[in-house]
Amino acid sequence: MAQPVVVVTGASSGIGEALARRLARDRHQLVLVARRTERLEALAAELADRHAVTAHVIATDLLQPGAPTALAEEIERRDLQVDWLINNAGFGTAGRFDRMPVARELDEIRLNVKAPVELTGRILPGMVRRGRGVVMHIASVAGYGPTPYSSTYGATKAFLIAWSEAMVVELEGTGVNVVCVCPGFTRTEFQEKASIDASAVPSFAWQSAEMVADEAVRSSDRSGVVVNGVLNNVGAVLMRLAPRSMLARATASALRGKLG
Amino acid sequence: MAEEIALVTGASSGIGEALARRLARDGRNVALVARRADRLERLAAELRGAHKVEAHVIAADLVQPGATAALADEVERRGLVVDWLVNNAGFGTVGRFHELPIARELEEIALNVEALVELTGRFVPGMVSRKRGVVMNVSSVGGYLPSPYMATYTATKAFVLTFSEGIAAELADTGVHVLCVCPGITRTEFQETAHVDTRDIPSMAWQSADEVADEAVRAVGKGAVVVNGVLNRMMVNTLKFVPRSLVTRIAAGLIKPQEA
Repeated sequence: MAQPVVVVTGASSGIGEALARRLARDRHQLVLVARRTERLEALAAELADRHAVTAHVIATDLLQPGAPTALAEEIERRDLQVDWLINNAGFGTAGRFDRMPVARELDEIRLNVKAPVELTGRILPGMVRRGRGVVMHIASVAGYGPTPYSSTYGATKAFLIAWSEAMVVELEGTGVNVVCVCPGFTRTEFQEKASIDASAVPSFAWQSAEMVADEAVRSSDRSGVVVNGVLNNVGAVLMRLAPRSMLARATASALRGKLG
Repeated sequence: MAEEIALVTGASSGIGEALARRLARDGRNVALVARRADRLERLAAELRGAHKVEAHVIAADLVQPGATAALADEVERRGLVVDWLVNNAGFGTVGRFHELPIARELEEIALNVEALVELTGRFVPGMVSRKRGVVMNVSSVGGYLPSPYMATYTATKAFVLTFSEGIAAELADTGVHVLCVCPGITRTEFQETAHVDTRDIPSMAWQSADEVADEAVRAVGKGAVVVNGVLNRMMVNTLKFVPRSLVTRIAAGLIKPQEA
């Protein structure tokens, strides 16, 4: 049987790279997507060599208008039928909203929200026709509550969670699973890029990208929202039950001065 | 002295029109924004006559790339100072996501999310430097209730809710009030535009646009979120304690596409 085809966006580092490695180990054929060609090429060569899988590289900047559709067309042009779509690419900004450049906030929405919606819109209909597939979105526990000083980031992740929860019901009986993965603090380049000082986060709260990827893949046999790690699960439940205004104020006072 | 205004997007009908009327009644000058210039001109003439306020008309289609920036530029060119920003423009699509035209889903995100964030980014810094202002973002109880067949719509509203709560906490003590308004089922053109069958929703659950607008204006400064109507408030508070998979199933039962 042919190797199932997995598309991973943001595959050049962090959770995306870990997911690519994890699925290569399971003998999946990979389509690695990110901006950095050389990193993707190196990863593709390594995975092909180590796991005897085919690994394609498509370098693209999903922020550019039309890029997600162009990516879907390129995948089709290469005659690949997508079995797994993993919308992992994303970034976060941190700071007081009115002091950050709005153009970057809009880029954040374009990458974290619009690109997944557009790619899913292009690729999901084929999965439904074939009666099988997995659409996986990488959200965050930040999507469970208001996140002052990362207001746009938390909102993009709240979008992905709500969107996935609704789609779980829409896709029942189609054979396609929707899995929304909500990691907490994960050791990646993310914090560095978002200029977040995470030194106050206790070490037991951190997970590795490999742990997150492994849990995500093992959860993909059914639709739903997966929160990574016991601690984050407790946190997500508390965030849902706590008064949201209290959550917002507590987060804001903890971060005021650090980021404001 | 520069003229202070309340800028209302989506002012040509529904809750936006009701908010524009309510704010004019309070003696505020308004700038009315929507696509339909003729309807805005009629409303502006009426408000000038009835309430002795200035009423500006700026016709714009905020779905178009660059339209939001052009609107902000036009407001500045006319020497208007935005004291109240009412981000009300929005629309909803109804149907299974994978059967809906993807272009329309992306327009929904552009209007409900991107235009709102961009206008907030353009006008909040001025409010902060003047130490006063109001940002009113119109979300929906759908922001609390991910709804199958309205997956993208309710996800955009979850975004608006989370984003608003975040920036409200960030801007506490700046003199700028952020309020997220979450109406339930409101008698407007919305249902018609979205082709949604609302026959199963009991009549006691409905509110008029005027009720929503009045409740919203009175809620400014009293918290980050107002859920409109006693019934909707009860529902939102109860939903927290209901398993999410059940929540989405209830939503699927209430809101279904006309053809499904």
